[in-house]
Amino acid sequence: MTSLRYVPHLVAAAVLLLAAPQAAAQVAVRYALDSLPNGLRIILSEDHSTPVVSVDLWYRVGSRNEQPGRSGFAHLFEHMMFQGSAHVGKGQHFQLIERAGGVLNGTTNEDRTAYFEEVPSNRLNLALWLEADRMRSLAITEENFENQRQAVKEERRLRVDNQPYQPAFTEGIPLLYDSTSCFGYAHSVIGSMADLDSAKVTDVRAFFERYYAPNNATLVVVGDFDPAEARRLIAQYFGDIPRGPATEPVRCDYRFDVGPKRRVWEDPHANLPAVVIAYRLPPHRDADTPALTLLGTILGEGESSRLHRALVRQSRSALAAGAQSATRSGPGMFFAFAIANQGVAPDTLERQLQAEVERIRSDGVSDEELTKARNTVRAGNVLGMQTTMQVAERLQHYAHLHESLEEMATDLDRYGAVTNETIRRVADKYLVPANSFTIVVVPKPSAGGGAP
Amino acid sequence: MRRRAAQASGTARSATGKSCAGTRKDLGRGARPARLAGAGCWALLAGLVVLEPHVSRAQYPTSPPPAAPLKPMQFPPFREARLANGLKLIVVENHELPVVSLTLALPAGARVEPAGREGLAGLVATLLTKGTPTRTADQIAAAIEGVGGSLEASAGDDFFTVSLTVLRDYLDRGLDLLADVVLHPAFPDHELELARQRTLSALALEKSQPEALASRFFARALYGEHPYGRSATEASVKAITRAEVQQFAADRLKPQGALAVIAGDLTLEEARRLLGQYLGSWRGEPPPESPAPPPPPGGPTRIILVHRPGSAQSNIEVGNLALKPADPWYFPAVVGNKVLGGGADSRLFAILREQKGWTYGASSGISRGRDVGHFSAGTEVRTAVTDSALVELLAQLRRMRAEPVPDSELAAAKGFLVGSFPLSIETAAQVASQVSTARLLGLPDDYLRTYRDRLAAVTAADVLAAAKRVIRPDSAVIVVVGDGSAIYPKLQTLAPVEVIDADGKPVSPDELTAKAQPVAFDAAQLVARRDSFQLSLQGNVLGYMTAELVRGGDSLVYLEETAIAPVGFRQRTVVRMDPSSLATRAVDQSGSGGGQELEIHLVYAGGRVKGRAETPDPRAGAPKVVEVDTALAEGTLDINAFQPLVAALPLAEGATFTIGAFEASQNAVRTLSVKVAGGGEVAVPAGQFAVFRVEVTGGSQPLVFYLTREPPRRLVKLEIVGQPVVFEAVR
Repeated sequence: MTSLRYVPHLVAAAVLLLAAPQAAAQVAVRYALDSLPNGLRIILSEDHSTPVVSVDLWYRVGSRNEQPGRSGFAHLFEHMMFQGSAHVGKGQHFQLIERAGGVLNGTTNEDRTAYFEEVPSNRLNLALWLEADRMRSLAITEENFENQRQAVKEERRLRVDNQPYQPAFTEGIPLLYDSTSCFGYAHSVIGSMADLDSAKVTDVRAFFERYYAPNNATLVVVGDFDPAEARRLIAQYFGDIPRGPATEPVRCDYRFDVGPKRRVWEDPHANLPAVVIAYRLPPHRDADTPALTLLGTILGEGESSRLHRALVRQSRSALAAGAQSATRSGPGMFFAFAIANQGVAPDTLERQLQAEVERIRSDGVSDEELTKARNTVRAGNVLGMQTTMQVAERLQHYAHLHESLEEMATDLDRYGAVTNETIRRVADKYLVPANSFTIVVVPKPSAGGGAP
Repeated sequence: MRRRAAQASGTARSATGKSCAGTRKDLGRGARPARLAGAGCWALLAGLVVLEPHVSRAQYPTSPPPAAPLKPMQFPPFREARLANGLKLIVVENHELPVVSLTLALPAGARVEPAGREGLAGLVATLLTKGTPTRTADQIAAAIEGVGGSLEASAGDDFFTVSLTVLRDYLDRGLDLLADVVLHPAFPDHELELARQRTLSALALEKSQPEALASRFFARALYGEHPYGRSATEASVKAITRAEVQQFAADRLKPQGALAVIAGDLTLEEARRLLGQYLGSWRGEPPPESPAPPPPPGGPTRIILVHRPGSAQSNIEVGNLALKPADPWYFPAVVGNKVLGGGADSRLFAILREQKGWTYGASSGISRGRDVGHFSAGTEVRTAVTDSALVELLAQLRRMRAEPVPDSELAAAKGFLVGSFPLSIETAAQVASQVSTARLLGLPDDYLRTYRDRLAAVTAADVLAAAKRVIRPDSAVIVVVGDGSAIYPKLQTLAPVEVIDADGKPVSPDELTAKAQPVAFDAAQLVARRDSFQLSLQGNVLGYMTAELVRGGDSLVYLEETAIAPVGFRQRTVVRMDPSSLATRAVDQSGSGGGQELEIHLVYAGGRVKGRAETPDPRAGAPKVVEVDTALAEGTLDINAFQPLVAALPLAEGATFTIGAFEASQNAVRTLSVKVAGGGEVAVPAGQFAVFRVEVTGGSQPLVFYLTREPPRRLVKLEIVGQPVVFEAVR
């Protein structure tokens, strides 16, 4: 069907904001664990319903491992992983997988860098071999590096600089954390143009040596495969890659009582004001995470959420409003945001967002709201397990953010144990002015140019 | 490049140990078939693993391992039925997960909106879930979200859809709600006004998004008054009345001609029973559609430039009308499209991104509408390379029409299209979507069953013939969304350009071209000094530049010398200026590059520039000679005088200047746009400095100058945008 017409996307501007780790939920899948002597961790999970297999390889390195002056490097490096290796030419990784009928990509976030291939099941060997070849022998040339630097700068322009709201959100939200005590989480994943320009090809090799070793990686295979055959291939392709150095933990000091911070951002591309209030959260493994996730759903997910009802429907001040708890390996973030309707001042939005947060701090939530939020988590758990790739991502989530696959079986119980009182308590602990950073985006008429 | 030498560090071993199967207690039925013999658990996931020697020790392969035979795969079974009220039903069973999705598609998309009421179908969709005689909007939202489900309506060009997704346990509740909103929508007044206000705000938001602007104006240019070309505007959304909303729903939301597709954890028999129970009383047939006005005939290629001031990139979309949905040329066209712009293993991606570094992505596609579809190719590139990217894009479209696709690319494209089909039918909802698309577009009954075979049969000759029908770069619509003042002059050389703003209103090209104006320079910033710079590429020093200002009683002379030994480039420039007005008096330049000589001598006096310029022309193989005698507007500098004078501009955060600069090699005045964009600190070999960052566009290449904030200002760094080289001050 044609999709030529642009469908108005009410929360378009919020999409990037919400591209956060999935809520934890009970996982219903069988798996087997394995590892190689060089430290590569392996998770295998069979599903023969479609002749498809997903390979998902996570390295424990993300933007949190970057140094000042090199923001954006982990993601820039991810691009270099598609530029060839000892036995694979530039661009061939794409070619070989696509020609086999597969899809592939890589993604980088604060905590990890992920590479995946989803292929017809007869090409599991190809996907594994391509991952192994670049892990053992990445090709790094000045020319390819320069080319990818340009591609990444265009990616930044596409996703951030040329979009309304995104410069404010991308640059602003990490300011929740202090760049001297927690640089890892105090800058954007995409990085600054100046730092992208400063990156050197010598940095690429050092980064590879340090982080792209088997003992810093977890390989997940899900789908239609024979486990004995998969083990044999993994051992053959990855077995002789030497270990790398132990990586040092990322240092991040933070407090929940820094005092309120606020910043006004003039956006030449925005037509409507917007407000985001962000709060610091503890790491994903913290016991408060289920309550915070449910709180995010109650406050800001769907048309029955507090913010939608109050700001979009009752006061009609917002075109869109929402909230979400976005947790990570390290400290996370809770957002409440709204985009103004035409003619509504940003101060109005900010006051209303604050009022809704305060209402939960003082009065808690209703039983119906809590049940709804639990059901949303439960449905998300089921709907997020339909493809082999989704299952692979779920397994990686538990391996990395929980450091326990066994918690897949019990995680939903933690959501069931949350009470109205727990919600009120976590709201009162984290969603406080002293722990907040408010970003107000106001449209700025563009200077220059002839258009009105 | 082999850091990790392939010397074996020991035979890889695999683990055995206790089973680590997860439970399915939330799901309770039909476990995934997943059994792993000898599965092991990581203790604490920290690598404490029981290891045993592996049986064999195979060599690491140095070329891609061969493919095992592709497993045969039939398109998953689906069943069809028809209810007594005419509603057609398709069921795709899948009992792996306890979830059901239902999509109701009705022939009531934007195409049946009356003229001037664009957006009506979308408003009806928004309002459908906002109240019935027995439920308020809040109650509907709470009821469906309370069980973790979703119920949404939306309107496309051709079809109006209502979608329900719920866990199996709550299917009754979901169907009850769906039936209530489809059969008894109330369209309360206050909900209409709220929806209208939000739609208007959403339209305002769209105008700030470059991809939305590109899409809107591309459709308008391609399809004209045909429904696919129309879209909601402020005026049309304001004009819609509640009576029109009610009439649209009463006429169009009927079971005759509608299709319900159910996928997931239920059987055809259950589906029939449940739909009979909830939708059995739904009756009627929509009135016949009036024929749509035809899309405009394609003329010669034209460019529509959507002026979006300050854009960091240009969004480019090129295309033309193509095929009707059941056209057999579709299959070779799809193969050709994969070669041209389908994914990372395509020509556009390989050239525009991996070779040129102009973009993050470039792709092409073949769309299908119920009436007719289109071909389009597009990319988003930084402003400075807009014209180059468009030229390359068009060249690649022409190549598809001119040359047969080589066997290797043909095999690659078919390999992907045939092989990836299973990936598109992994879930029941995906299978349902494939089936319903085929039915709604009126494709032949065997379409899905024969899809892969028909693709596999495509030859290079078929692709060439299809490309000639489907890809028409000389009769195309080109939409570019970007900063018109930077790109208009360049686009003009490629095709006729119509300039509009984000509202679609015409913009006069005169408004785009910033007028150069005399600038009040601060001559006191220019003190006698001599600075040295190193030119480096990725940290490797390739050459040097020295810049010297000499003040006399009645003269100010700028001397610049540059040498880049590895490429045999050297250049010496002498610019004489008036010491107070800083107007250019004379320029003498000599040097060599690319094996050719450079020699320029110019005198500026009485509002004219006269002289001779001989400059290297690598393409011609001999220097280009220009005899210069040109009248100049007041305040026009020589382009070589610009660099020393940046320091004398009244620099301040956010300041902009427009300066005319004569470039003898082109015998033309360039309009330089100067913008002071922030500052910060820069570290160069000469030290660390607080600086102004000054961006200059309009010359042969965009430049960024970094000047000290501390007076007298000093140039400490110079970048050529888009190139990995940088000039940095040394001590």
